[in-house]
Amino acid sequence: MTTAAVFDTRDLDRAIPVVHVPVPGRERPASLDVPLDVPPELLERSKGQPGTRALRDARLRGLVDLHIDFVARVLRNSGTPHAEIDDEVQRTFIVAARRLDDIRPGAEKSFLFRIAFNLAAHARRTAARRREVSADQAPEQVERFATPEALTDQKRMRELLDSVLEKMERPLRAAFVLHEFEEMSTAEIADALGIPRGTVASRLRRARAEFRERVAAIGGFAAYVNREGQG
Amino acid sequence: MREMSGPSEPVLLRDESVSALERALLDAGRSYRSTGTARAKTLAALGMAGSATLLAGTAQAVPLATLAKMTWKMTWGKLLAAVSIVGAATAVPVGYLAWQRHHHPAMHGGAAPAVIAAKPIEVPPVLMPRALEDQATENGPAGAAHSARPAMTLAHELSSLDAARALLARGDASGALARLDAYGRAYPNGRLELEAEVLRIDALDESGRSDAARARAGAFLQHHPHSVLAPRVRTRLGD
Repeated sequence: MTTAAVFDTRDLDRAIPVVHVPVPGRERPASLDVPLDVPPELLERSKGQPGTRALRDARLRGLVDLHIDFVARVLRNSGTPHAEIDDEVQRTFIVAARRLDDIRPGAEKSFLFRIAFNLAAHARRTAARRREVSADQAPEQVERFATPEALTDQKRMRELLDSVLEKMERPLRAAFVLHEFEEMSTAEIADALGIPRGTVASRLRRARAEFRERVAAIGGFAAYVNREGQG
Repeated sequence: MREMSGPSEPVLLRDESVSALERALLDAGRSYRSTGTARAKTLAALGMAGSATLLAGTAQAVPLATLAKMTWKMTWGKLLAAVSIVGAATAVPVGYLAWQRHHHPAMHGGAAPAVIAAKPIEVPPVLMPRALEDQATENGPAGAAHSARPAMTLAHELSSLDAARALLARGDASGALARLDAYGRAYPNGRLELEAEVLRIDALDESGRSDAARARAGAFLQHHPHSVLAPRVRTRLGD
């Protein structure tokens, strides 16, 4: 595939299966007429209007209002370049709008995550091709930022975090992002990824170990550079 | 956020780490937020009335109670008709053609309508879209440029497009074009320029000026082949 290839979001329709994994304690009542994310006031206003459309509209609005930060964060932490976040957020919700009927009430975040995670992978690949720089060339440039002063510099920490996450395998990264940044439980992550809880726990352990190992290596490298610099 | 903290649930690394570097990195990942621009672009692409919501959203937290208190006037309907059919037909909801009128006087303060001159405006057969800068390039590090702009301006931009879309949905393509011209004058470097351009292509086509619509659509695709909105334009072109 060349960089000129146009990404069609409809590919995601095929790439993202509808996974209905029940989450303990999160079961919805048998009647799913009322989507979770619709404010009661909006539902009230929808009365007398063509029901389905009104509910869909309210639900879509609710998705954007409640989950846009989640989507942006997932996109960013999954490797989407910062400059492309706005576009990818937009794209995520466009896909969600098209698949709205497939989104199980209560599973909105899971669904949005799957869209965003896939889009992030594509955005990352495209950005790498555009730069014509392999993904593992960046970390060396960024490790010098790991100085004590830099700990309070969000931009530098962000770049360093990118370099650490970049090396993580996708399945591990997904679990890590959802747990450490979104504070989702293993059950919720299992729902989002469509895998058993035990697998989530296992991936999480490996991801955390990798994360700590790489951060420790960077810290050691930075300490060495700082000592050399002072000497 | 966490609802299922059982005894076997792993503790957050942020909470148990003794490494300052680890904690700083994890904080960097947790603190990322969407921009007001992302919200506006999303609402515009979905063809949703969004100014009131946008303002609430830029304050970050959007409690449902706050949403419920808002007294915006909405006409439900046409948008989701479009959303429901796009799965088969297009890559983007045809919200541009299916608009619900939205107005919230308290939020807009009447400023947006004042910007929009309703006089008939000649629409030049422009070959180039106004938005020549790719959206990706405008988003600098940390989105500082965006966040520095007043949220009200972004809300007004969205409101202007809302108004144009409402006219188009009612079949008043000329009125929609006039509003879009007004938008272009009021916001020469608007953050929703691409969304406005797509709406303009729709309006030109609807008004029977299909040649102009095709020319602008071609220019749009030439300059923004990877835009989120490109599939929508291709659909209009019949590609």
